[in-house]
Amino acid sequence: MRTIFYSFVALVYTFLLVPVVMTVWGSVATSPMLTFPPRGFTLDWYRAIPAEFFAALTVSLEVAIATTVLATIVGVPAALAIVRGGFPGRSIVSAFCLSPLMVPTLVLGVAGFQFWTRAADVIGYNITGSILGVVVGQSAFTIPYVIRSALAGQANLDRSFEEAALGLGSSPIRTFFTVTLPLLAPGITSGAIFAFLMSLDDVPIALFMGGGAATTLPVKIFTSIQFSLDPQIMAIASLLMAMSLVLMIMIEAIFGLEKFFGIRKSSH
Amino acid sequence: MSGANSPAEPPHIEWRPSRAWLAAALPSIVLLLAVFAVPFLLLTENSFRLDEGLGQLSAEFTLSNYISFLTDSFYLSMLGRTFLMGLVVVLACVILGYPVAYFIARSSGALRGLSMFLVVAPLLISLVIRNLGMFPVLGESGLVNSILMSLRITSAPLVLLNNMIGVEIGLTHALLPLMILSLVVAIQSVEYDLELASASLGAFPIRTFFFVIVPLTRSGLLAGSMLVFTLAISAYTTPVMLGGNRVLVMSTFIGKEMLTVLEYGVAAACSVVLVTVTLLLTAPAARSRKTT
Repeated sequence: MRTIFYSFVALVYTFLLVPVVMTVWGSVATSPMLTFPPRGFTLDWYRAIPAEFFAALTVSLEVAIATTVLATIVGVPAALAIVRGGFPGRSIVSAFCLSPLMVPTLVLGVAGFQFWTRAADVIGYNITGSILGVVVGQSAFTIPYVIRSALAGQANLDRSFEEAALGLGSSPIRTFFTVTLPLLAPGITSGAIFAFLMSLDDVPIALFMGGGAATTLPVKIFTSIQFSLDPQIMAIASLLMAMSLVLMIMIEAIFGLEKFFGIRKSSH
Repeated sequence: MSGANSPAEPPHIEWRPSRAWLAAALPSIVLLLAVFAVPFLLLTENSFRLDEGLGQLSAEFTLSNYISFLTDSFYLSMLGRTFLMGLVVVLACVILGYPVAYFIARSSGALRGLSMFLVVAPLLISLVIRNLGMFPVLGESGLVNSILMSLRITSAPLVLLNNMIGVEIGLTHALLPLMILSLVVAIQSVEYDLELASASLGAFPIRTFFFVIVPLTRSGLLAGSMLVFTLAISAYTTPVMLGGNRVLVMSTFIGKEMLTVLEYGVAAACSVVLVTVTLLLTAPAARSRKTT
């Protein structure tokens, strides 16, 4: 009974991790792709990664940094306003700011494409097919992610620190920058990291709003495997996973992965 | 989208509440209007227009996209296929996820940390790459087939890619961590004493599991299932990659209409249907969580 249980659990873990192992293994094997077990060892596939994949990686990083910075700059004040503001309709503002998360990213991409191609007639410039287009498209989900994370951060905030600072004569602005903001930093950081990761992960929006010189790495991999599956693709994928691993270890060290995912759930 | 988490009600705080704060929320509101709300309204508007070829839409409004959706067997069978796919994925995630979630919830210390890490870590790896990794596993001479053939379970390789099975395996792989996370939280809240009581009264572990753990974790199970189902039926990347352009579900159809057929009206109508279904499924779950 016990043995069956533990074997089943081990099998599920194998299922979860085996694609990762096979990708890395396939990237260093000399035997033909997709045969098991892969044989031989070579680093040639890494040397043979086409330049366009690195160009796509650069696009991905530019997009992710731009949309994360934008989302953080506009999202954090909005989250503060939702919790602290005295204006009417705060809960409506909150619901509106989080509502894009209820919509599949595919639909966000379709809506973005249809809107901005139509808007091009009015503004005289079509942002689809450019990096700006992808950033605009992805902001529909990165801004809500940052806001949600900053809202959760404030819910856990102990206000007595601020009251103490104010009571000791610190000005509200000084209190905000020396007490409130540092206390909120973990929530803001984890929201920003999450938005960054989701931007790097996104295919549908980047597919519809980008393309051409604005092709991100996931879109590049997504479209090229429909024609051929080369070991070079496994190599660039392994490099990207190594990046994720570094980020993962950082998150684990700063927040703990479990807590990081405890307050939010991933989306695809 | 991960709508299942409804926003917490903003706590009421008496610290400098002022209307001026609205200004701080304004940039987000304006941007989200421009990048989300207005495009979505236009999408809805386009769904009421007829396609006139090459992405051109009729000037007048019509219900015909929706009428054909509700009457044409092509659309109805596609909707049915999409739902069936979602159900299979939910079922697979429940069966695979419960034992792992139980294992994590009842372990402690370093073992718990590691077993949780291994579940969560794949979520941080790009979905495209996780799908890519399924090719050497599911391919004709891949891992699964070579094991099955060497054990003489099958004589010819199974076709596990470029069809619905491949898509379902891929989606299960992508969404299983979310189901496990949802179940771990639920199982943790069940007192271990209850299991001991059940065992001391003579119940076998399996009986305890089905009659104590499962009923007490019902809400976590429901929340996880809703999340997995809505994400499965709206997923685009995995059905295209592992379905090899041969699996026709709502999302892949929308993608085709947008990229190759260029029928934006039909794509818009299908998008609106997909969003509506998602909202109908997640809204009751979100409301029930608020009341409990």
